[in-house]
Amino acid sequence: MSSNAATLDHNVAPGEPPHIHHMDSQTAYGAAKLGMWLFLATEVLLFAVLFCSFAIMRYYHLEEFHEGSHHLNVWWGGLNTIILLCSSYWAAVAVTKAQQGDNPGVVRNFGYSFVCGAGFLVIKSIEYTGKYHHGMFPFGATENFYEFKNFLGLYYCMTGLHALHVIIGMVVMFIYGIKPALRNRYSAKYYTPVELSALYWHLVDLIWIYLFPLLYLVG
Amino acid sequence: MSAHTHAAHANEEVNYLNWKTGLWSWLSSTDHKRICFLYLFAIMIFFVAGGIAALLMRLELSTAGPTIPGIVKDPHTYNVLFTMHGVFMIFLFVVPGIPATLGNFLIPLMIGAKDVAFPRLNLFSFYLYVLGAACGAVAMLNPVDTGWTFYAPYSTTTDTSVSLMVFAAFILGFSSILTGLNFIVTIHQLRAPGMTWMRLPVFIWASYATAVIQTVATPVVGMTLLLVIAERMFGAGIFDPSKGGDPVLMEHLFWFYSHPVVYIMVLPAFGVVGEIIPVFSRKPLFGYKMVVLSSMAIAAVGFIVWAHHMFVAGISDFSAKFFSIVTFLVAVPTAIKVFNWVSTMYKGSISFKTPMLYAMAFVFLFMVAGTTGIYLAMLGVDVYYHDTYFVVAHFHYTIQGGAVIGLIAALHFWFPKMSGKMYNERVARIAFAMLFLGFNLTFIPQFILGMDGMPRRYYDYPPQYQTLHTLSTVGAFLNGFGYIFSLLNLLGTALFGKVKAPRNPYNSKSLEWQTASPPIHENFETTPIVNEEPYNYGTHAHA
Amino acid sequence: MLGLLGEQGSDFAYKVDYANDIVTIISVVCTVAIVGAMLYFAVKYRQRDGVDHETPAIEGNNALEVIWTVFPTLVCIWVAWLGYDSFVDLRTPPPGAMEVNVTGRKWAWDFQYKNGKRTTSELVVPVGEPVKLIMTSKDVLHSFFVPVMRTKMDVIPGRYTHEWFRPIKTGDFQVFCTEYCGNEHSKMLARLKVLPKAEFERWLADDSEERKLAAMKPSDRGKELYVAKQCVTCHSLDGSPRVGPSWLKLFGKQGQLASGDKYTADENYIRESILNPQAKTVAGYPAMGMPSYQGQLSDDDLTGIIEFIKTIDGSQKIEVAPAAPPKKADAALASMTPAERGKALVADSSNMCLTCHSLDGSKVVGPSFKGLWGRKEKLSDGSEVQVDAAYIKESVWKPAAKIVAGYGPAMPAMYEGKLTDENLNDIIEYLKTLQ
Repeated sequence: MSSNAATLDHNVAPGEPPHIHHMDSQTAYGAAKLGMWLFLATEVLLFAVLFCSFAIMRYYHLEEFHEGSHHLNVWWGGLNTIILLCSSYWAAVAVTKAQQGDNPGVVRNFGYSFVCGAGFLVIKSIEYTGKYHHGMFPFGATENFYEFKNFLGLYYCMTGLHALHVIIGMVVMFIYGIKPALRNRYSAKYYTPVELSALYWHLVDLIWIYLFPLLYLVG
Repeated sequence: MSAHTHAAHANEEVNYLNWKTGLWSWLSSTDHKRICFLYLFAIMIFFVAGGIAALLMRLELSTAGPTIPGIVKDPHTYNVLFTMHGVFMIFLFVVPGIPATLGNFLIPLMIGAKDVAFPRLNLFSFYLYVLGAACGAVAMLNPVDTGWTFYAPYSTTTDTSVSLMVFAAFILGFSSILTGLNFIVTIHQLRAPGMTWMRLPVFIWASYATAVIQTVATPVVGMTLLLVIAERMFGAGIFDPSKGGDPVLMEHLFWFYSHPVVYIMVLPAFGVVGEIIPVFSRKPLFGYKMVVLSSMAIAAVGFIVWAHHMFVAGISDFSAKFFSIVTFLVAVPTAIKVFNWVSTMYKGSISFKTPMLYAMAFVFLFMVAGTTGIYLAMLGVDVYYHDTYFVVAHFHYTIQGGAVIGLIAALHFWFPKMSGKMYNERVARIAFAMLFLGFNLTFIPQFILGMDGMPRRYYDYPPQYQTLHTLSTVGAFLNGFGYIFSLLNLLGTALFGKVKAPRNPYNSKSLEWQTASPPIHENFETTPIVNEEPYNYGTHAHA
Repeated sequence: MLGLLGEQGSDFAYKVDYANDIVTIISVVCTVAIVGAMLYFAVKYRQRDGVDHETPAIEGNNALEVIWTVFPTLVCIWVAWLGYDSFVDLRTPPPGAMEVNVTGRKWAWDFQYKNGKRTTSELVVPVGEPVKLIMTSKDVLHSFFVPVMRTKMDVIPGRYTHEWFRPIKTGDFQVFCTEYCGNEHSKMLARLKVLPKAEFERWLADDSEERKLAAMKPSDRGKELYVAKQCVTCHSLDGSPRVGPSWLKLFGKQGQLASGDKYTADENYIRESILNPQAKTVAGYPAMGMPSYQGQLSDDDLTGIIEFIKTIDGSQKIEVAPAAPPKKADAALASMTPAERGKALVADSSNMCLTCHSLDGSKVVGPSFKGLWGRKEKLSDGSEVQVDAAYIKESVWKPAAKIVAGYGPAMPAMYEGKLTDENLNDIIEYLKTLQ
């Protein structure tokens, strides 16, 4: 009504859904979920190109891929897998907590997921640094890199893009999960951002579930 | 009406154009109608730039041998021009094209909603477009000459700003994805009461199909372009055979998007024609269900035909046969649409306002486009025509004769709704005639050039092709003038026009025409309730 | 039938043409019918004097929908089959077809026959016999298109593709490159020469060049190649510097590379530098000066050159005959303008202008040709000169006479007897266009 009205009014009571001027809260919830699922589909397609290229390059260079895979540390990779699985579990718990209006529970569980994400990134940097010292990093590359350039090229594209998504997921969990929950934002009536953040995080985990065996185990 | 609404005079209604003024109110607006104009302004800049590139190319090609040494002084400049023409026209003009402009404006209005599902995301999409365009502009400092297709290994090894240019395309793709996502959710969630799926106007169905393609296909090319950058930056070896890669893989990944993208470009135009013809024939759209089904079929089948761009790329004979057959499959739904449009005119009450002229021209232009596509779907014949001027003429008939004519038609048809004014019919019709004649004069000679074997992307050619090239150049300039006149007519009227538009000047039945021209910010004074079938024109035989 | 695609040169061309004709007839008929119906309705049902009249609310007609779905589908199936029928022939070379190896590179086509004979930009085949092309690229994607034969296939680096045809008439036919490959894509043409069988056999057997080389001792063979392959242009035998290092006492020489590493000019180093010149360039010489001879020299050729280099130890003066100017296609030249002829001369790799002079302003070994004409240049001795016809001619006949400041005495004096005065006039006309 007022000419200064923004389309979203954030000055609502904790636990109440935000006032959106062109949708009721039920429609808004449905729209947000549909939107996030569609977005996740586009992310899957993005990674699908990499998986497809990996399959084809592996077909052409089987030896190189086998050998290159042996230069990856299965233990670090396995640990990262466990870390992400746990983080997904806690993200799911966070959604339940939000539905129950347990905002501290949201903070706690998303907090665990966040820390897991950080742990994942730490291990990834350990792996990358190790590669760098062996000259197998794309910057400062030596003959070691070029011997496995097809495998390593795809390895860095896939894990690098994935790590970027881990960072994005962590940021999303913080801004749309932890921070509002600290202000008791969520309740049974309104928990949409928590659900969407968890959905995104589950995708990040799911992609790793495919990446790990493909890169580290099958090779 | 509040006191501080500057444009609120005693006899001027408050609407989305004047309820808030100032540049910032436009640049920060999440109103889908204003975002339409932001996009319209931006894409027109690139239409003009791409058009200038085309005219320079045609000037150079008008005679054999170097023609304009001062400007197109060497092959490299020419190669840059055709690359820029393709990149600007496709990524920066036609792909955003109707969806980002008319789609944005009309979708909420046609379904009876107040805005799209995610208005802020909508504005964000626009700024992603701006960012992509800016990256592309910076890449012009060391301009790319790979062609808009960026084939490896030329694109992964050449010295120009390829990485920045494909990164620009990546960002533009992201903008396209988010717009598509927004529209899908909007159409699913925000339909007014009574607006069931089978009461939606065909423009909405077309936009829906387009949005699905945008969302599903674009990520694939986005990632492919990132891989090109990876290969350039650290020699990853995916597409370059000297590094163990496969250039044909790049072609597959590229065309997996770039074939569906042509449906992103043309499906909305089909929707526009499907809206115009019933209104100016005063008859229901013939075969509404089949038209809807054909849009969805085109979107679906369009995903499995990509390698018809690669018949001579070294794919297996079996693959070639498969892709040829499915390409014919995608031709049939398009034909069905054309039959239904023409049947709509049967026993109609037909008037020939400018939008109807464009719609009728579209039928002719798309018949040429579609039938010449049949030539290219045929294997043995495509071997001859691939990478010749025949293909160039074909895709200009589909993209320009299809998508761009559709955009111009739509801008004329919905102009009264968008601006609240009526343009001068006579000027519009003269511009239409120039456009139509110029376009055909440009590209019919190019079909003949293709039949004579003239290859594309050639800076220079053997002298026997000269006459046809000169004719084509004359046509190109006439074509350009046609666009200039038609668009200036609309722009001038929007800025300075005096004739006010009524709410529903063409007596259309669809929802967007039941509200004010231009609409108020919230679109409808009260939420519409839909209780009749679409295109409810004409008299029913009983009662 | 309709003759839309021009001359038919191969035995399967008529199938492609037939398919093309049928689809043309169908397309024209359909377009005329649909557009005709539309215009007919437009006229017959138009509003008179802008007055709306009653219209029936016809929603559709199921029978029509079925008809105009099924009928086009059937037509499409037929037409698809026509396309397939012509394609099968194009893709199925008969067994025993004569094979020719084709290599596409930026920006020319190289051909090699089974008996070892090599040609560039000209493919010679016998009439009436099938020929199968086995093709690959040295660098980027190209495509080999022979319109008259109706066949085309992309040429891909790192793999082989095939194309075949059986010519049904003799003559000279155009070959185009039809996959964009960079600057000179539109100039990557070739000529297909179809000869009567006996004449072709004579042409193919004419290995007088190759036999002469094979019968020589390796160092003599190397000496022949030194001239024939234009090494003489950039490498002197007497120690004088040209674009590249002199071959005097080259073998076994040690020195420094541009990268800072040391090199020893042994057999392996010399071979590598011929096949991949940019790998280990000697310090003080232009990085991009030497073109690669990959694919142009056999192993015996390379051995011969190395043996020849070993003989240039300063103990005796070595005489070489100057290279014969390469033959040019006169008919095409006569119809060109002087500037076009000049451009062709500059682009001709045997003249090697573009090895050292760019066309886009960038500095290579010598001044760029862009903007050169009419400019005032400062010379290495401090004086100024106007770049006019006299200066250009002098610089071609006697390159060391007036060197532009900032450039070295690298240009070889090899054009006397190679280019005529008329050639230079043409080149000057071309330079005038490069502003």
